[in-house]
Amino acid sequence: MANTWGYGAMTNSLGDIQNAKAIIIFGANPAVNHPVGFQHFLKAKERNNAKIIVIDPVFTKTAAKADHYCQVRPGTDIPFMYGMLHLIFKNGWHDEKFISDRVYGMEDVMEEAKKWNPKKVEDVTGVPADQLIQVTTLYARSTPGTLIWAMGLTQHSNGSSNTRLAPILQLALGNMGVEGGGTNILRGHDNVQGATDMACLSDTLPGYYGLSDGAWQYFASSWGVDYEWLSGRFKSKEWMGKKGFTLARWWAGVLDGKDGNDQIHNAGTNLKNLFVMGNGITSIAQQAKVKEGLDNLDMIVLCDPFVNEAAILTDKQDDVFILPAATQFETSGSVTATNRSVQWRNKVVEPMYESKTDHDIMFELAKRLGFYDEYTAGMKIKENKQDYTWPEDATDEIARIIKTIGLTGWTAKRIKSHNENWHMFDQISGRGYGKMKGEYYGLPWPAWTETHGGSPLLYNINRSVAEGGMGFRNRFGLEHDGQDLLAGAGSAPKGSVQKDGYPEITAVNIEEVLGIKLTADEKKRIGKNWKVDTSNIIAEKCMEQGIAPYGNAKARAKVWTFPDQIPMHREPLHSPRSDLAKEYPSFDDKENHFRVDTKYISKQTEQDWSKDFPINLVTGRLVNMNGAGMENRASKYLAALTPEMFCSINPDLAGKYGIRDGSMMWIHSPEGTKIKVKAKYSHSVPEDRIFMPFHFAGHFQGEDLSHKYPKGTKPYAIGESANTVTNYGYDIVTQIPETKGGLCRIEFA
Amino acid sequence: MKSKYIIIALLALSSLAFGYSDSVVWSDNLVDNILGYDKEGSLHLGQYFTILQSTYFKPLFFGVLFGVPAIFLIHYLIIGPMIFSHDRKKIYVFTLFNRIVHAIAGIAFILIIPTGLIMMFATTFGGGEFVRICKDIHAISTLLFIVSIVPMFLMWLRPMLPSSDDIKWMMILGGYLNKRKDPVPAGRFNAGQKMWFWLATLGGFLMIGTGVAMYFQDFRLDILVSNSISQIDFLRASAIIHNVLGLAVLALFLTHIYMSVFAIKGAIHSMINGYKEEEEVEILHSSYYKELKEKGEA
Amino acid sequence: MSDIGNARLKFYCDEHRCISCDGCSVACAEAHELPANINRRKVVTMNEGIFGLEYSLSIACMHCTDAPCEQVCPTDCFYIREDGIVLHDKDKCIGCAYCLYACPFGAPQFPQDGAFSIKGVMDKCTMCAGGPEETNSDKERELYGQNRIAEGKVPVCAAMCSTKALLVGDSAEISDIYRERVLSIGHGAKTQPYGWSTAYGSKI
Ligand code: HEM
Ligand code: SF4
Ligand code: SF4
Ligand code: SF4
Repeated sequence: MANTWGYGAMTNSLGDIQNAKAIIIFGANPAVNHPVGFQHFLKAKERNNAKIIVIDPVFTKTAAKADHYCQVRPGTDIPFMYGMLHLIFKNGWHDEKFISDRVYGMEDVMEEAKKWNPKKVEDVTGVPADQLIQVTTLYARSTPGTLIWAMGLTQHSNGSSNTRLAPILQLALGNMGVEGGGTNILRGHDNVQGATDMACLSDTLPGYYGLSDGAWQYFASSWGVDYEWLSGRFKSKEWMGKKGFTLARWWAGVLDGKDGNDQIHNAGTNLKNLFVMGNGITSIAQQAKVKEGLDNLDMIVLCDPFVNEAAILTDKQDDVFILPAATQFETSGSVTATNRSVQWRNKVVEPMYESKTDHDIMFELAKRLGFYDEYTAGMKIKENKQDYTWPEDATDEIARIIKTIGLTGWTAKRIKSHNENWHMFDQISGRGYGKMKGEYYGLPWPAWTETHGGSPLLYNINRSVAEGGMGFRNRFGLEHDGQDLLAGAGSAPKGSVQKDGYPEITAVNIEEVLGIKLTADEKKRIGKNWKVDTSNIIAEKCMEQGIAPYGNAKARAKVWTFPDQIPMHREPLHSPRSDLAKEYPSFDDKENHFRVDTKYISKQTEQDWSKDFPINLVTGRLVNMNGAGMENRASKYLAALTPEMFCSINPDLAGKYGIRDGSMMWIHSPEGTKIKVKAKYSHSVPEDRIFMPFHFAGHFQGEDLSHKYPKGTKPYAIGESANTVTNYGYDIVTQIPETKGGLCRIEFA
Repeated sequence: MKSKYIIIALLALSSLAFGYSDSVVWSDNLVDNILGYDKEGSLHLGQYFTILQSTYFKPLFFGVLFGVPAIFLIHYLIIGPMIFSHDRKKIYVFTLFNRIVHAIAGIAFILIIPTGLIMMFATTFGGGEFVRICKDIHAISTLLFIVSIVPMFLMWLRPMLPSSDDIKWMMILGGYLNKRKDPVPAGRFNAGQKMWFWLATLGGFLMIGTGVAMYFQDFRLDILVSNSISQIDFLRASAIIHNVLGLAVLALFLTHIYMSVFAIKGAIHSMINGYKEEEEVEILHSSYYKELKEKGEA
Repeated sequence: MSDIGNARLKFYCDEHRCISCDGCSVACAEAHELPANINRRKVVTMNEGIFGLEYSLSIACMHCTDAPCEQVCPTDCFYIREDGIVLHDKDKCIGCAYCLYACPFGAPQFPQDGAFSIKGVMDKCTMCAGGPEETNSDKERELYGQNRIAEGKVPVCAAMCSTKALLVGDSAEISDIYRERVLSIGHGAKTQPYGWSTAYGSKI
């Protein structure tokens, strides 16, 4: 998404879904994962007669509320979307003006789409041609239509292609930048957007500044620390700019290529310590490897309100520390919602017993590691304070530094005032009334200046920039292959001095683009460009002139830096269709992918996986749990809803293996791992696939690990982790594991 | 011996009730239970039960409880008891085993019936702890009842089979409507006793079955599932049967007491020491008397 | 607006909205600290996994007009409040389960206590209105859970409902809300909402 038009986030908002005339949901199950947000879908249906189209390998609770349900084979979203595009272009349903003014590289997509006629799509995806025609017709004709997705689209070896083709579909129909349209990706947990914005990522600094030297320089000065000191903390300067390991494959960093594991590139050493803060690492793919990684560490530190079951999974006896962390109710601060809006969360009680808040744990750690002063310096800069107030000064520090996604407006004071006046905002548009007039609830970023009211709807050129309007971001240069990358004539946001496309604003071009003259003082204070302009002069001036600081460019359908410039279908590494795996092979193996050599084609062709492992394996969530389920399974009433780990299986498939409803079954993975779970008959899965929730832990490959829980900490419900049998496979760009399209073999236990 | 197996079977049944954590009343089966209420094609047992319990059962029980004794009181006053000579020979009719079994049954009835009535008229007794204890006694004494009723069934099965005398007995209502000592057509047991026997045994088994169902409430019976009878409907049917049969049991129980204690003076002794007056046998069980005569036992 | 004096409080679960998230039942269990095997509220899913036929409903005591449970109780321990809430007295109840047999919705439940599965006294949804004990006393809380109605709060299940499928309030008003939802779908007249006539009669 970020590579398509600038930002990787939900473009509209949950409330705005009520404005849609059609809603297409790809690999997401909001009825289960976003039950409260789902009411907007239901209201769209009620009030707007909106049609809901669900595309999912499993018949979900969301599908139960849909008007159309297409049961695709896992990992074939790209053929499905190309099938839609094929029909859209063929019938001329696309928005030609929108494409020519605001999109680059659509021709290549059109060319590829020609190949995907409904018959072919039916063969690859399993969705009947008639149905494809029916839903495409419906979706293309009911504008605005919004497109929803979540992990069902991303967790594939070519997930990053999926998440590019979905925006392309919306661009083709001109569904971007309009109310009721947009690509509304749903974040799986509270504050995932905030965590991402703050760089819980290994390839960028906060605010998506990347890891370039310039970015480090900017942060060093903004944090009030010496750049040399900062770079001195790395093995060598060169490692500052390198991507780190990811959550999906940190264990490879421990195993260091031993025993046939993938080779790593980590300055000649392996990982020795693991520090986990609030992450259920028992819900990530390939648990057997996670266990191997844990077993080989020198030290493990786990900070969680409940026992992190990594401590149960590992056989390691010494140097495993469990630190009791406080919950969200015992601390305060800002959290960012899926629609990029922010809320203040107040403390309800002081941290209980010996638990400590996350920031206290980090501060204590920084003190002992000797960099506490540098660590906290940034919070004191704004008002030149002696000491800082947590968390307000941290929030203000973020507002001061992060320009890229426009967090300047997110001062602690403003965020709090939104919470105190939450009744003063419209529920659908988020627009404020009375004294909150001119602001949108939660100041959805970008909130360019300290008075900007937020941008509830990205890329909307029908509003002025001051009211949240903008074009697409100018992020990928001014031209490519001789084609202009700036937006076409007349496609600037309302009330702009520039009617056409324009580049991102820098100290050099500001006078020309904005048509203004800077004073000498301003010239002195202004930062190099809008991203590092701590003086805020660029943003302020832009608002006055109706200019979006990041420019006004074309979205790109073609990403020339990616392995596939336009999204291409590639079969999952473990595909039940070996014939198609030959026709649509995976990527070449990738060396040094987030420091780990990662297999693609060599894995796919290692053997004919579909012969020994004929069944598709899909994992997902339950409504009563999230993540690794640590805290949910420790709740009596939540655990009672699903007291045991289970596998949803079609009665016809189960019958073939003599598995009865409620009996135990083994599930074997191509990795040689297995789990023993209870069979639950369900018609929500067809005969060629099974579904399992991934929230359980406490059993491993048939062995009950109950005895390993410290006294009194065993949750009410434990069970096998579905991820013990999820397959090898990682996205080519993001390295997210391919948990939504693997293979397995089952037998009666 | 038999009773031991029944207790074991009961315990097994109770473990069944524990074995399933999934409720058949309140889990997903709730739907079937609800659909059974008034949907087309359902048994409508919910409504029937509600109507019966809210308007009929209490007055009926009240009627039987006081009406039957009232009739007997009139009978006693107008016709009076039968008195048989104690001077003639005594005939040994009930073995010790017979008498023990009967005694246990008797105790069971004396416990079960009043406690059952107390539950039925719980409001009168103020509900709460007292009635709850009666309810527990009702359940526990059922075990006693089971222990007695099974051997009773087996030991008296043969003589309780219907015979031609029964019709004649019925025609003259056992000769109780006058004081004449005409021989009454009856074998070892007369038609009235047979009625009581069959009600107490077969009816008793039904009472036990329905009572146990109500007691355990949440258990899984495959026959129900395969016949798509919802659990609640089964319980409703149990409650209806239990109450309707209970009426009959109560009526005959009262009759039985009247007969043995008041209507036939001294009849109760036979259940205590095993001997009946020869005249009593000659008159009230004339066919049996003839039989004994032929065998030369009388 | 309805006449507050004559308000009869009712539940209604809109099956077009219910997504079986169990928010209601968990909120109820948590708020009233119910024993493990008691679910005053239960969400059931019909035709699971079948397109076009699957739907879910949240079910608890419907606080019936002319409540059948009240009619059959041998201890007469039920009482119906002026606002239509059907409550019962646990001190009187003998746990005979007749109310369960009479109830169209399987609402009354019995905690199993003791090794021989002796049923305890009946428990059911109180519409968060406690019981006959002194309002907001410890005893009331222990026996019947929170009395939110006395505190002027909405029953916790409906308050927690994530999609506002579960409605509670004056019967006239909730039927208005529901009617509005149905009409705005634009499918024309709907079949009669499930369970409505059974619970509330056809008067409304
Ligand atoms: C053959 C004699 C009887 C047997 C074996 C029998 C057995 C039982 C049993 C096992 C129960 C369940 C106990 C419990 O839930 O605590 C029960 C319940 C009950 N019985 Fe009887 N019973 C008999 C006669 C009667 C009679 C004559 C009446 C009526 C006056 C009666 C009225 C009741 C009532 C009202 C219940 C309450 C239902 C309940 O507790 O679930 N029973 N019976
Ligand atoms: S739903 Fe059942 S328990 Fe509730 S009032 Fe109606 S009959 Fe009584
Ligand atoms: S269980 Fe309690 S409330 Fe229900 S009918 Fe029996 S005595 Fe009444
Ligand atoms: S009204 Fe209260 S007691 Fe009844 S189901 Fe809802 S939360 Fe539970």
